[in-house]
Amino acid sequence: MEESEEGKSSINENEEEEEKEQQVWSWGAGTEGQLRTGRLEDEYSPQLLHQLHFLSSVTVLACGGAHVLALTSGGRVFSWGRGNSGQLGHGDNNNNMLNSCCYPKPITFFDHHSLTHVSAGWSHSAFVSDSGCLYTCGDGSFGQLGHGDYRSHCSPVKVEYFINKNVEQIECGMRHSLVLLKDCLGNQVYGFGSGKRGQLGISTERIKSVSLPQVTNGFEDVEIVGISANGDHSAAISADGHLYTWGKGFNRTPDVHCPWCLPSSSQFTKAALGWNHALLLTGDGEVFMLGGSHHGVLSDPEKMSPAKHLSENANEAALERVAALDGVIVVQIAAGAEHSALVTEDGTIMTWGWGEHGQLGLGDARDQTNPQAVSLGDNVQNKDTKFQVYCGSGFTYAIRTLCVPSQS
Amino acid sequence: MSYDDVEIEDMEWNEELQSYTYPCPCGDLFQITKDDLELGEEIARCPSCSLYITVIYNIEDFLDKKSINKLEKSKQQPVAVA
Ligand SMILES: [Zn+2]
Repeated sequence: MEESEEGKSSINENEEEEEKEQQVWSWGAGTEGQLRTGRLEDEYSPQLLHQLHFLSSVTVLACGGAHVLALTSGGRVFSWGRGNSGQLGHGDNNNNMLNSCCYPKPITFFDHHSLTHVSAGWSHSAFVSDSGCLYTCGDGSFGQLGHGDYRSHCSPVKVEYFINKNVEQIECGMRHSLVLLKDCLGNQVYGFGSGKRGQLGISTERIKSVSLPQVTNGFEDVEIVGISANGDHSAAISADGHLYTWGKGFNRTPDVHCPWCLPSSSQFTKAALGWNHALLLTGDGEVFMLGGSHHGVLSDPEKMSPAKHLSENANEAALERVAALDGVIVVQIAAGAEHSALVTEDGTIMTWGWGEHGQLGLGDARDQTNPQAVSLGDNVQNKDTKFQVYCGSGFTYAIRTLCVPSQS
Repeated sequence: MSYDDVEIEDMEWNEELQSYTYPCPCGDLFQITKDDLELGEEIARCPSCSLYITVIYNIEDFLDKKSINKLEKSKQQPVAVA
């Protein structure tokens, strides 16, 4: 493992123009080892993690129900956290499959592959290789692995359906998966797994589940550039900045079985989905929320009344601008099951929503209805510093990358 | 207030926990045992947090024949079954 790591990184040094130095923090629910702290405990404040040389340049982090996948700039993937369904992809050597893992371990299946994209669902994982192939592992009991059956796998398995297609992105929800293909106008989005709430968008009929990918309806004349899935929700962003949602209705509105375009004059660039809300980022750095009526009041039963007016029409699920962010330019958004996180233009990380497990990182277990700044312990701000934030169901990761110009 | 209403068919039987389970947003699982269901309990709790869900099910699916007969008998009499 060490040797191949050395080999990989020497190749990468030639490819990269700059060296990167990273710091990683985690906080929130931690009893499955998902925080990588070495303790199986919740953390209410950001924990600076030990620098691991093989994880020194994480390009993408994917956080699921209680596990984490990390893609490094060398195209390798590491996983840790809960592994009881095989979602860590470490295989079943020594009967380890059912074990959780509180330290990052490479998924050796991909030793001779280079990966470009990863996604973590509630209890399944998916990987896209640089050649556009899709691999899945973990819980398959709803067909969410896409192999045509309902089996679970503890090592990644190639999804044969896409063997002659070019996969760009995979997004894993609670019990379903969405795939975005490259250069395939009209048939770009596919869904598989549980479809009961309409989250696959493949039929107006009520569908329990499908185990083979099927084309999501409604994008025949639309170019999709990004997809999102979490809980029983699905979303897509088109090249012209429109947001489409399908699946479980927001604010207890009826489920939506075909992608529906949100009427809005804003140009959306990113959607981050929770289990009951959607966070949306516009090209101007504004943040909107869909279905946030319970966001930040989950621990307070008195404030949690049924939605004020139960709309019969999903089209009326109110889109609200996060007013507390007036004048703040946001560059990145992320959503956990019931909490939200963002990065502002000046490198501040803010969180709000449900806080019972410390997932807001504000030092306590309180809920917050408005975004609050997270303190990462020191204030080294630098114009060459880039922050990224990622949310799992009940936990959060922040990565600070210092971009140092290469000496060569 | 209940976090969500979940149909029993959407819950998964967990042999290890001897319970029906459903994902909790904290990362753990809402759980309810067959015994609880037989007793008419409809709240499934998460052992790790304060949230709970309401389980939607037909109690008769969880009673053995003997107790179904009993229930039917009691239904014939003008006694309210809670
Ligand atoms: Zn919980």
